Amino acid sequence: MKETISYIFTFLFLLTQNSLFAQTAHDAFMRSNGKIYVVIGVLISIFIGLVLFMVIMERRLKKLEKELNENG
Amino acid sequence: MKHWWKILGVLLMIYSIVAGLAIPLKPGIYDAITASKAITGAPIDIVAVGYLTKFDNTKDDLRAWLKVDNEHAIASTAIKVESESRLKVSFDIPNNLPSADKTVDAALIIDSKKNGYSIFPSAVFIKNTVGTNSAAGWTNAISNMTQHQGMSFPYRNILQETIRNLFYHVPLWFGMMIIFLISAINSGRFLKTKNSKFDHKAASYASVGTLFGILGLVTGAIWAKHTWGAYWSWDIKQNMSAIAMLVYLAYFVLRNSFEESEQSARIGAVYNIFAFVTLPMLLFVIPRLTDSLHPGNGGNPGFGGEDLDNNMRMVFYPAIIGFTLFGAWMANILYRLKAVQQRLLDKAFHSA
Repeated sequence: MKETISYIFTFLFLLTQNSLFAQTAHDAFMRSNGKIYVVIGVLISIFIGLVLFMVIMERRLKKLEKELNENG
Repeated sequence: MKHWWKILGVLLMIYSIVAGLAIPLKPGIYDAITASKAITGAPIDIVAVGYLTKFDNTKDDLRAWLKVDNEHAIASTAIKVESESRLKVSFDIPNNLPSADKTVDAALIIDSKKNGYSIFPSAVFIKNTVGTNSAAGWTNAISNMTQHQGMSFPYRNILQETIRNLFYHVPLWFGMMIIFLISAINSGRFLKTKNSKFDHKAASYASVGTLFGILGLVTGAIWAKHTWGAYWSWDIKQNMSAIAMLVYLAYFVLRNSFEESEQSARIGAVYNIFAFVTLPMLLFVIPRLTDSLHPGNGGNPGFGGEDLDNNMRMVFYPAIIGFTLFGAWMANILYRLKAVQQRLLDKAFHSA
């Protein structure tokens, strides 16, 4: 939990530091073809979010499996 | 069929991704290039660069105007098609400007029978070199605009294709609100019944809601970078939604900070209800009170009209339902895991 929160804070901090991300080549690519890659980027980040959820679920399940193996 | 709502949620999500990406934008003017400065009493050539346009010399009835305001415009003197996506439009600017300003900005309007009409705001800035102002030479005769035929989404100059993010970024927030509402209701039921089942449900829904909110922040930041210019512009709605996420993160910290599970569930449930009550304040009330880049806030017009037409609504509303149902499915699985864990704990407790 602590780790998750510190990750989120670091992420939010990095978001505000635009110079870290400012790459003109990256911008030019994202803005080509009518900025369609921005939509692709949004869809990919949603997908990564769903994958993160899967990881959390697997960790919980692993805990349960371990408990069953020890006490069941 | 007790799984119908999960299937419906997935189908609606697939529909919103496929339809949201497949339907093309209307053709629009992407850029207007001028070789010389626009001054009164002189001709000017503007090269209009089209996006998805199919300009054609022979089979099209092209018309163009420079529009200063609703009453004052001039029609073009010549239009030359350079390519499918390039038009060279010539204007003779009258000797006078219709307003007393030294400089006025004019929008370029192009009407095409094949592509429909399109507006490029602030295409040129006309400088008044004579110094007088009168409406002579300016007309208000813009009429018979052609609507684009066929299924399409609106073309907006800065948004361009990113207008499709309406189907992926906004439903995350709508879905988050509904999921947090379910979470708060379950907290209320827990306080009433003292059944820990409802507390686990509330926590599961709050987890998924927080995930949706963080994804909303991330997708919004990506969208903002390429339309507003920065990942984080300290826009009031961005700040308030980040605070809302912190409020919910505090819920998880609070729930995990008590030794006794009964106590943590009770305090968590009360906090969760309060957290939900702050949401409309943070997300809907405060952003409306000051300036904001978000549509519908701080004097900006809401999403509607040119931004959200009926074609977009046909994808947008199903996307909201789809994301919400999918989120509810995620929360449901998380809750069942927690319930199994609780049963194992209880069993171990009783046998010990």
